[in-house]
Amino acid sequence: MKTNGNLYKPLKSELIKVIDESPLIKTFVLVPEQDFSFATGQFIEVTIDGMGEAPFTPSSSPLKSDQLEVTVMKTGYVTDHMHTMKPGDKMGIRGPFGRGYPLENFHDKEVLILGGGCGFAPIRSLLYNLIAIADKLRKVTLCYGSKTPEDCVYKPYIQELRDTPKFEVLRSVDQPDENWTERVGVVTVLLDEVTMDISNSIAVVCGPPVMMKFGTLRLLEMGYPENDIYLSMEKNMSCGLGKCGHCMMGKYLVCKDGPVFTYDEVKDQPHIWN
Amino acid sequence: MNRVAIPKREWDERLIHLLSSFDVFAPVENEFSSDYLKLDEEAISHIVYNKPKPVTPLKNFFLPVKENVTIEGIPTKPVAIIGTPNCDVMALLFLDQIYLDNEYPDPAYGKRRENSTLLSTDCLSIQEHCHCTSYGIEPKGNESSDISLALIEDQVILSVFSKKGEKFIEAMGIYVTLTPEKSLLDRLHELQENVKEQLLERNKGLPDYKQTGKLVSTAADPIWEKYASDCVSCGACSAICPTCSCFLLIDKPGFEKIRQLDTCQYPGFERVAGGEDALHALSERFRNRYMCKYVWKPQKYEQKACTGCGRCIETCIGQINKNELFIELSN
Repeated sequence: MKTNGNLYKPLKSELIKVIDESPLIKTFVLVPEQDFSFATGQFIEVTIDGMGEAPFTPSSSPLKSDQLEVTVMKTGYVTDHMHTMKPGDKMGIRGPFGRGYPLENFHDKEVLILGGGCGFAPIRSLLYNLIAIADKLRKVTLCYGSKTPEDCVYKPYIQELRDTPKFEVLRSVDQPDENWTERVGVVTVLLDEVTMDISNSIAVVCGPPVMMKFGTLRLLEMGYPENDIYLSMEKNMSCGLGKCGHCMMGKYLVCKDGPVFTYDEVKDQPHIWN
Repeated sequence: MNRVAIPKREWDERLIHLLSSFDVFAPVENEFSSDYLKLDEEAISHIVYNKPKPVTPLKNFFLPVKENVTIEGIPTKPVAIIGTPNCDVMALLFLDQIYLDNEYPDPAYGKRRENSTLLSTDCLSIQEHCHCTSYGIEPKGNESSDISLALIEDQVILSVFSKKGEKFIEAMGIYVTLTPEKSLLDRLHELQENVKEQLLERNKGLPDYKQTGKLVSTAADPIWEKYASDCVSCGACSAICPTCSCFLLIDKPGFEKIRQLDTCQYPGFERVAGGEDALHALSERFRNRYMCKYVWKPQKYEQKACTGCGRCIETCIGQINKNELFIELSN
């Protein structure tokens, strides 16, 4: 890992661009003082100087090391402040931390990705990586749900994905507007439409806890084995080093043992959905 | 292992000499009990030997309650800590697994560990809530420390276990040829066994560590609610616990971070940005501490996360006695 020589000292990074994704979600493009690489699914800690720190999985390509992006929903003290920041401002980053997606397990498989809301952020990073190894995959189906069409993130990227061979994108919203032409309902309704060769497939789930729970249960119903469902767990990852204890989930420390787990690994641990 | 014995008066004189090259800490009697003090010449004659745990757990030497972890500057003067009970040394070995793991060894903790010589004590008496033997820990020093120390019949007996221990003995100018008399060692052994018997007798109804995990993980909600009704979430049990080491990172301007010891007993410990908080209810937080110590940490680290020191019982302002809880669970 890159730790800037001290496990706790953030690497200063310049904010060069802010992209409005939705009324509550922005993407921040950061240029770290030194090259910074990560594996897809790993997370970083972003420090707002003197205010606080919060964990995010980068939403940019893990194949780029000169800059990285984090997509952030305005939802608390640190993120509220991030949403006021402008190009030229400085942030700090620590990491990367934890265990990402084991891409070697995806080879020769159909990949079904279930995402909701801001959970698309880690998924986009994964998709960039999957595109780069597309020749080793059978197909990739993304099912993405959000509350309203306005809340759908990465709109230009969706089209790009739809134009990519082997990749398909299905979307749903809970509350449509008059222009919405895709599915209506919670994200699991999209699973009725997908045709996957389940015996040769793996599934990835990332999103708000309630969506993770019902998405996983539906995948199990469809016949996905417990160890072929990959979950990106959300806990209060604070130090990132497996020491501070805030992200303890039973015998696991999510920051170090995760954040990516198979359902099989976590199903008997407490509080996995909250 | 080398064993040496020197008269107490000579030991005191050599300690005075040692103060110029080591920062030496040892338990000294105070109004309530005994606690570690940084020794000066005058304090040496007040050191308490062979008594069970000082008030402060050993962890505080290595994990200060609050420190800036983004600036360097750990003192390099060697430290000697005299009088560490075995329960605390075992707790420190547990903390080593967290703070000196292969992936992210903590530099400040590591430096302090490297810099310190531990002189463990043989406990030759017991305190009301001591129950180390119930959890498979013996109340005497062993090779997990650098030296173990016992004072009997005005002789200081030192058993030297490590290279660091040898260096300490060398720095004190003690000759390793000063082998203790067999009669003295026999007497020591007799005292050690006697204390062990007392502990086993006092705690004979208490479930041992092999049973505690199952008892905790299968306990129903009402018992947690009952015991938690006397808890005020003050966090004293964690602060005084030799193995509790969770912390909070507090940001300061200049991208600096303060590490401050924290506890799952405080509200909001697991709260995430969206507001979800698995430990919102006090009884859940109360239960969490037991699950952590007796179920999850043993699964993860294969080492005991409670060493039976009894400090949490002594410190609790709600007078919650975890041993009473375990006895109730086992009935």
